[in-house]
Amino acid sequence: MKGKECGPVEKTALSRRRFLGLALASGAVASVGARFLEKSGQRDTAEVRSARYALVIDTAKCTGCRACVEACNLRNNLPEGQSYTYVLDKGDEQATWFLPVQCQHCADPPCAAVCPTRATYIHESGVVLINDKLCVGCKYCMVACPYQARIFDEERGIADKCWLCLEWVLNGDLPACVEACIPGAKIFGRTDDPDNEVSKLIASGRAKPLHPEFNTHPAVLSYIITEG
Amino acid sequence: MQTVWEWLPAIYLFLGGLGAGAFLVAATLEFLGKRYEFDFCPPTLVGAILPGPLVALGTVLLIFDLGAGLREPWRIFYMFTHFSSVMTWGIWILSVFIPLSLVYGFLEVMDTYPLVWERMTKRIPVRRIKRIVAAVGAVFAVATALYTGILLSAVGPAIPFWSTSVLPFLPIPMMPLLFLVSAISTGIGLTVDLSGTLALPDMQKRFRRLPLIHLALIGIEAVLLGLLLITAFVEGGAAAQAAQYIVIGPHSLVFWILIVLPGFAFPLAVHAYTLGLGRHPRLLHLGAGIGIVVAGLILRYVVLVSGIPVTL
Repeated sequence: MKGKECGPVEKTALSRRRFLGLALASGAVASVGARFLEKSGQRDTAEVRSARYALVIDTAKCTGCRACVEACNLRNNLPEGQSYTYVLDKGDEQATWFLPVQCQHCADPPCAAVCPTRATYIHESGVVLINDKLCVGCKYCMVACPYQARIFDEERGIADKCWLCLEWVLNGDLPACVEACIPGAKIFGRTDDPDNEVSKLIASGRAKPLHPEFNTHPAVLSYIITEG
Repeated sequence: MQTVWEWLPAIYLFLGGLGAGAFLVAATLEFLGKRYEFDFCPPTLVGAILPGPLVALGTVLLIFDLGAGLREPWRIFYMFTHFSSVMTWGIWILSVFIPLSLVYGFLEVMDTYPLVWERMTKRIPVRRIKRIVAAVGAVFAVATALYTGILLSAVGPAIPFWSTSVLPFLPIPMMPLLFLVSAISTGIGLTVDLSGTLALPDMQKRFRRLPLIHLALIGIEAVLLGLLLITAFVEGGAAAQAAQYIVIGPHSLVFWILIVLPGFAFPLAVHAYTLGLGRHPRLLHLGAGIGIVVAGLILRYVVLVSGIPVTL
């Protein structure tokens, strides 16, 4: 199991770097362009309202096994104990339920608004990414994210986050946490296909953003919350 | 407990406030003309010399708290680029305030010891330049002190305690106001109570209205701090939990013994005593000065670590 998981990690360590390099170049071009147009970063990010992908979490199905946490750690080669996702125990002793949390890929991400270096940005797919060449490691994004979805990479000295396994997703594969979810509590899909499960769940209003009152407009993640 | 930002940011916020407050004291005495009632005026001398090094030290500490920015220092320049970030505002404010206060300190030294600088002071109008620097610097001092609070209040819903409003139905964040008043108060503590009293035994007697002004400031700060805690309680959730941590919870010992007692109760008693009896016990004033400054640092630390993240 472990060997099987480790294989693609080795391969993708390089391609992820290449991908981030490309992202850096396009990010730099975009930010220079934006500065010429005298638009603020906030305005840039506010224009993206919906993302190309959706990830719906059905808490009724989550058993709290934390396979997603482990899978994320393995695929992203994270140090022991670190993951881009975590699972909260909710409810009381009689009725416990679980809330898996990760970056919600907000359309108005507070982490990007407070970032002094523009290291956090929104990819054209709507996924919120971090440019590891720009981050200074001030941790402002970590305190500003209401979903507490940021972790600190001590080795590189930068704030790190869920990138929706974009390298895999762009190739038609699944994010590690979705792939690993045994009870199928995480449902992933493209938003441009109205007939798939995620589009139906969102259109029917069953899947809703987590804590919309934060006004960050989560663009990728939504939840079907069943308490207890 | 909030564990992302702990001691280093607390010291940085404190030094920013202390430097800004000391600068404001010196600039105020300058503009009221009080500076020139003395041949040797310790509050303006200290209030002009110290802010530059204090705020610069705070900024160095901030840099030491960075991850990649510490290892690859050129990344720090990227921090000037994103104007929607309060931290970018702060970097700009500090970049103006630090050099201005260094220049102000140098001019004040030239003015205080004219014989040493005779050749230079003859050629340039020291006092006129000093006034301009004090005026522009005062604006940036206020900006620096406010920035230390806005940095926290700007995180919005992520940490409800930091974005607590002035009153439950008045959506103005309390942190910038509290930190501004606290900055001026610690500034007076450092320049007048501490340095002034050390250098001139009859310091407090020479500024008749000063104990009253300082008494009012400490009173206002106490009211703001009380309001912050009450509003946080009313708001409920993580903000109420933070207020509870501070007043009766795990931080209560630090709050009552290291903040309320030395920073509020003791200085209030000393200044009230001074005003009431017209006596100026030197040791008590020194104690009040130290107490106010120490409490200012601890206050920022307690506010930082009590920034409990919102409950999901």
